[in-house]
Amino acid sequence: MKRMHAVLSLISVLSILLAACGTAVPSPTPTQPPPTTVPDKLAEILDRGTLIVSTDPAYPPQSELTEGATRAADTKCAADQHTASELAGFDIDTAVEIARRLGVEACFVTPDWTLITAGNWADRWDISVGSMTITPERMELLYFTQPYYTTPAAFFVHEDNTAFAQPSDLSGRKVGVCSGCTYDFYLSGTLSIPGETIDFVVEDAEIAGYDTDTTALQDLALGDGVRLDAVLTAQPTGQGVIEDGLPLKQLGDPVFFEYLAAAIDKAHGTDPASFVEKVTEIIQAMHADGTLLKLSQQHYGVDLTTAAGEFEWAGLGQLP
Amino acid sequence: MDVNALRPFGPASADPDLSMGLKLLSDQRRARLVRVMKIVGVWIALVTVLAVALLQLRVDPGYIVDHRQIVIDGVWVTIGVSLISIGFATILALLGALGRLSRNSIAQGISGFYVSLVRGTPLLIQIYLIYSGLPQIGKQLTALGFPQLGRLLVLDATQAGILALSLNYGAYMTEIFRAGIQSIGHGQREAAEALGMTHGQMLRRIILPQAVRVIIPDIGNQFIAMQKDSALVSVIGIWEITFRANRFARQDSKFIEMYLLAAALYWLLTIISSWLQSRLEGRMAHAYER
Repeated sequence: MKRMHAVLSLISVLSILLAACGTAVPSPTPTQPPPTTVPDKLAEILDRGTLIVSTDPAYPPQSELTEGATRAADTKCAADQHTASELAGFDIDTAVEIARRLGVEACFVTPDWTLITAGNWADRWDISVGSMTITPERMELLYFTQPYYTTPAAFFVHEDNTAFAQPSDLSGRKVGVCSGCTYDFYLSGTLSIPGETIDFVVEDAEIAGYDTDTTALQDLALGDGVRLDAVLTAQPTGQGVIEDGLPLKQLGDPVFFEYLAAAIDKAHGTDPASFVEKVTEIIQAMHADGTLLKLSQQHYGVDLTTAAGEFEWAGLGQLP
Repeated sequence: MDVNALRPFGPASADPDLSMGLKLLSDQRRARLVRVMKIVGVWIALVTVLAVALLQLRVDPGYIVDHRQIVIDGVWVTIGVSLISIGFATILALLGALGRLSRNSIAQGISGFYVSLVRGTPLLIQIYLIYSGLPQIGKQLTALGFPQLGRLLVLDATQAGILALSLNYGAYMTEIFRAGIQSIGHGQREAAEALGMTHGQMLRRIILPQAVRVIIPDIGNQFIAMQKDSALVSVIGIWEITFRANRFARQDSKFIEMYLLAAALYWLLTIISSWLQSRLEGRMAHAYER
């Protein structure tokens, strides 16, 4: 009986081990680039037939999850990537169109925003089409394409508030922002956007950092001055939560505009230069033929793209 | 214990001791039933209080019902990631415990360092470091001329999440395994040595089979904890329960609604796991019943 028990318990331990090993075997990462026989990023993408795009579906209407979506059946995307049908939004539509004009299929991965902006993607994805603002800090790690639209940044306050009439009244007040994003840098007075002179109208604000803007807006909605006096965020994001019923209102005019572009890792294993140029050409063409304007009106109801089309991309001086 | 098996031949009433024993047993059974009923009553009362408290939140229950499927789709991912991770963690814990108990100072050093480092740092930071740090080491290795080894370190989100959870839980479970192995009486070792068994034979045939009985309930416990800690891997973009609840909630700013749904799903998962664990424990106890 004792021996029987010993055998049984050994079998149970072994079966756990085997189960673990069994599941470990079939995962030789399909996202890895082929050996260094392909020196060019663009050639590698065309060769693979898929454009791997990173997006964080936390920012409607740019990128969001689709309900009841099923994975496209005839997809070339790897098992840990998601097909375009599982996501929706302005960024997603733009990425799909870029991929279509490259002649490949768009596949999506969804790492946290901080991981996207940190660069060093280790070739796990090719490009971020994630409404990323062009900043000098990010330009050290990433190449930016022609911007595909702009976002006005505006302050929002609780609808009961009557004390503030314009953004400059918020000096010294408690303002919520997403940590490490452009709104955070604006409040601390360090924001610099290539191609734009910024007027820092709010001084010495008490900055409350949040993981994303929507959490800050939730806190602001608790009441005027309960946790926050104001939130600085993208105008479309603020308007979006107001339409969803949060008791907020916009304070004054936008304080600055951000140019939002697709970004490509400088530390790619293969040379990304021709890929950056090709995507820039595609986005310029999408501005010229009105594709982006149409998408902007579809998702935002307004034209956010014209200024981005006029942006002097060569002025960024990224490629030698 | 089966009472009928004790019944001697002939009518039961012939033996006053036996009928007294049977009455005692039925009294005990009734008392147990009453206790269970009371506990169920307390649970119902508490669930009602919780439900009333939740209704005070500004929630829209209809929203949860309408959009439940997108979060429920993440349940299998949570279960899969947790199951695979607990499997790897078990292997790591077994190796770690053997290392800690070994007389080899290198093995002892490695396992001691592993447990100290991993238990001493937050799981969330481990997840970030494994996902975005390892590939950079991999790139250096590739540059140094080891492309195979380098590519091995470039993990996709699922692999990185599983590795982080396995490493983390492996460290905690190392201590559980060590305690389980040490709980086996010294006499057992002496007897094994007296029979001429080697160290390996003794571990395989005598120590581990008995230690497993002590360890299994704790593995179940760790599995329950891991199901909830697996929520942390949502930061690297694995579409499990928390990722789906969090990301979907943003569309309509319905955070409380989606988080309540996610919490309910985790609770349900752990209730099922606890039930499985108690059944497993019952089965493990059979061998020691008299």
